[in-house]
Amino acid sequence: MSARSKTLAERQEAFLASVLDEGTPAPEGWGNRQAAGMAVYRGNYRSALMGALAETYERTALYLGPELFARASINHAIAHPPSGWTIDEVGAGFDQTCAAMFGENPEVAELAWLEWAMLELATAPDCAPLTPQDFASASAEFGEEDWAGLRLGFQPRVSVRVVAHDLEAIWRALPERHEQTTLVEPRACVTSREDERPTFTLLEADHAPAIAAMQQGASYGELIAILLGDNSDPGPDDIQNAAMRAGAMLGAWLGEGLITAINP
Amino acid sequence: MAIQPDPIAPFSGFGLGLRRTHYDDFLAGGVPVDFVEVISENYMIEGGRQLRILEQVRRDLPVIIHGVSMSIGSARGLDGDYLAKLKRLEQRIDPLWVSDHLCWTRTSAHNSHDLLPMPLTREALQVVCDNIDHAQSVLGRAMLFENPSSYLTFPEDEMSEWEFLSEMAQRTGCYLLLDVNNIYVSSQNHGFSAEEYLAGLPLDRVRQMHLAGHDPATPERDIIIDTHDREVIEPVWALYAKALEMLPHLPAVMIERDEHIPPVGELISELDRAREIADRAMEPA
Repeated sequence: MSARSKTLAERQEAFLASVLDEGTPAPEGWGNRQAAGMAVYRGNYRSALMGALAETYERTALYLGPELFARASINHAIAHPPSGWTIDEVGAGFDQTCAAMFGENPEVAELAWLEWAMLELATAPDCAPLTPQDFASASAEFGEEDWAGLRLGFQPRVSVRVVAHDLEAIWRALPERHEQTTLVEPRACVTSREDERPTFTLLEADHAPAIAAMQQGASYGELIAILLGDNSDPGPDDIQNAAMRAGAMLGAWLGEGLITAINP
Repeated sequence: MAIQPDPIAPFSGFGLGLRRTHYDDFLAGGVPVDFVEVISENYMIEGGRQLRILEQVRRDLPVIIHGVSMSIGSARGLDGDYLAKLKRLEQRIDPLWVSDHLCWTRTSAHNSHDLLPMPLTREALQVVCDNIDHAQSVLGRAMLFENPSSYLTFPEDEMSEWEFLSEMAQRTGCYLLLDVNNIYVSSQNHGFSAEEYLAGLPLDRVRQMHLAGHDPATPERDIIIDTHDREVIEPVWALYAKALEMLPHLPAVMIERDEHIPPVGELISELDRAREIADRAMEPA
């Protein structure tokens, strides 16, 4: 097939393949001028992706240093060429690239996860969190059934995961590096937004599955069941303890400004 | 056949791109510009500080939304999610106009996040016109398209870029964003006359002009690269003056800086030069 008989779609596929991979054969009919121009487009592509990753993962870059961060960025961009219209998307999954590359330093992947979660929050829909007083007023007349069926609306794009490292200490210390950042026991890292500012906090680890379940629509009664865990025959004390734990969690979530609605 | 969109009335003035480093300057007021231009994709979001600041700036100044990812030359058509989000921003900001580039950025599988060159063929022109009709129909308004800088031409080209742009504007009712630096860069890279380019355009369709700096050719690389990271050079100022003499009216003129962004005062000084040249070029003979 000659170059002239190819469709525009085919030419564009071939052109972009050549931008992504310099090993791809040049399109038919191309000479040195086109090859020189293609080198500019390849350079633009790489610098755009590297720039976007550096902007999104500013703290991960500081933590790793420029050489390791550049290596991670190149690996990520080659393995995950972007497909979406926003260049920010090139950063999706970078924590997994870091986990694969820096297995002996798992805090790197946790830090990258945190930066991505913070970026997501920065452009999330604006919302007004309920204060503890708002919640107390709204639930003042609740009966037992109301509590059991209570569902909560969370700030949009709140993220949570269990982490094994003191991300607060790592975050504060940058560009210096803390040598000892492993937590005594894992914690739940929860991101949220205070007005327009993305932020995060470390809570007890059992907050992670609890928040995840409530974000997916679990009721307060179901939360208590989750907290009872594998206990298939709970006694009154077990139920009382689980209810108290759920109440403490709810208080923490309200204190952190995570809750925006009751029974949304 | 698509319905021709309503005309865009001329707007004369001098402006800057609204960049994050200058947010505080614009919020404080007193930056002497007639409009600002923003990169659409940075504000096609659901909330947060950037959007709030844009809405605040919009209370005082007309805003132009200028995209880099519509990919109007994509043979696979336009991205519906992108158009929906752009429409939402357009409704939120009520801009002077919406613009993008004569280029393509993606295939069905990947996005280059760069302004890739169009082959200048009848087939490509049909694709571009169909896509412009689609975009203008979704937005409910005419758009502007910018002439890009390019670093290669295609063996299969069947017309010049100015012929392509002219027919595109005539067939779709779209308008032109004339990037003077891009004309200079491409003319140097491909060896055509910038004056001939200007003379071949339907200049009554020009509603905006961009002025920017670029990375010159080097002994190792004989291609000029459009970088928006430094001051406008003298030949580009001269081409700007020449273009103004040929235009029927003064358009919206702006300095475009995306890298190594200096304090806003430095850009205003450069914009002042654009004003002075316009004063001289547009004064009655």
